[in-house]
Amino acid sequence: MTHESEKLLFSAFKTTLPVLFGYIPLGMAFGLLLAGAGYHWIYALVMSIFIYTGAGQFIAVALLAAGAQLMEFITVTLLINLRHSFYGLSLLDKFSGVGKVKPYLMFALTDETYALLTTTTVPEGASKARFYFYISALDHLYWIAGSVLGAVLGSMLRLNLEGLTFVLAALFVVLTIEQYYASRARFPFVAAISAGVLSLLLFSPDNMLLLSIVIGTFILIMYERTIKGKNSEPSSSDSAPREELL
Amino acid sequence: MTDTAYMLVVIAAVALATFATRALPFIFFSRREPPQLLSTIEKNLPPMILLLLVIYCLKDVQWLEPPYGVPEIFTIAVVSALHIWRRNAMLSIFAGTGLYMLLVQLIF
Repeated sequence: MTHESEKLLFSAFKTTLPVLFGYIPLGMAFGLLLAGAGYHWIYALVMSIFIYTGAGQFIAVALLAAGAQLMEFITVTLLINLRHSFYGLSLLDKFSGVGKVKPYLMFALTDETYALLTTTTVPEGASKARFYFYISALDHLYWIAGSVLGAVLGSMLRLNLEGLTFVLAALFVVLTIEQYYASRARFPFVAAISAGVLSLLLFSPDNMLLLSIVIGTFILIMYERTIKGKNSEPSSSDSAPREELL
Repeated sequence: MTDTAYMLVVIAAVALATFATRALPFIFFSRREPPQLLSTIEKNLPPMILLLLVIYCLKDVQWLEPPYGVPEIFTIAVVSALHIWRRNAMLSIFAGTGLYMLLVQLIF
């Protein structure tokens, strides 16, 4: 490795330090959870190499434990990771001209890597493709290392893991609060609570996630349509204050 | 199907679904602007799904029997308060999980 790329790798490493401290324990929690569900650590390695999504892998363990159907795995994964599609939308420009590493950059686009790529500037004179690749690959390595470490420890030690799955609920609570800070929109939460409570009352616990997402999306679309309809009326001079209320 | 084969099929399916969500915008919108309806739904879908996932985590709680969901609701309140106060995701997640484990293993 040349001196130049060594310097760039070190610069990328410094950039990814917060992700290192986040991914090792979170990966370990995933590994512990998978080991606790009775799976060999090799599955933690394979999943973290080829799937590589925090919330998605946690949910996959929950679905495995619930004995879900293949279509449920696919649908739930698509819906949970749909947010990643919108990350890509804002990176279309940044990722143009990165060459052959582009498929990997697309694959490795987690919440944290997205945050780093969108907030860090490429060092003067350095290759954008190489810098982005180092950041993405380092984050990926931390995740793999954490999950394997957790899975191995989990299978060696007889730990009392009762309650560990709550790391999931805590993760989602934190991400929900972050979503609120990011958009300040209140209606998605109204839609979620309506759809969630309705689904808990009407459907079996195993089916409620998928059905509540479908109901919630329907509520969101109906709401958007109503607002859109109001705003597109010819006499919509008073629609501006109404928009601010949202 | 054996357990190993089933696991590998599940992993492959989840891996492909995850990659699909990340690759979609690059495949579809590399040459044209994304449509308007999509961008309005886009803003509202992630917060809705995340809160639904919180609710999903409470799906097996027996609200009408002791301890009436107290450990879950209490821990969620603590995680929320801690996160609004410090905005440190790892602190909120791991302190909350530790607290919940203590509650269910030692108290309830």
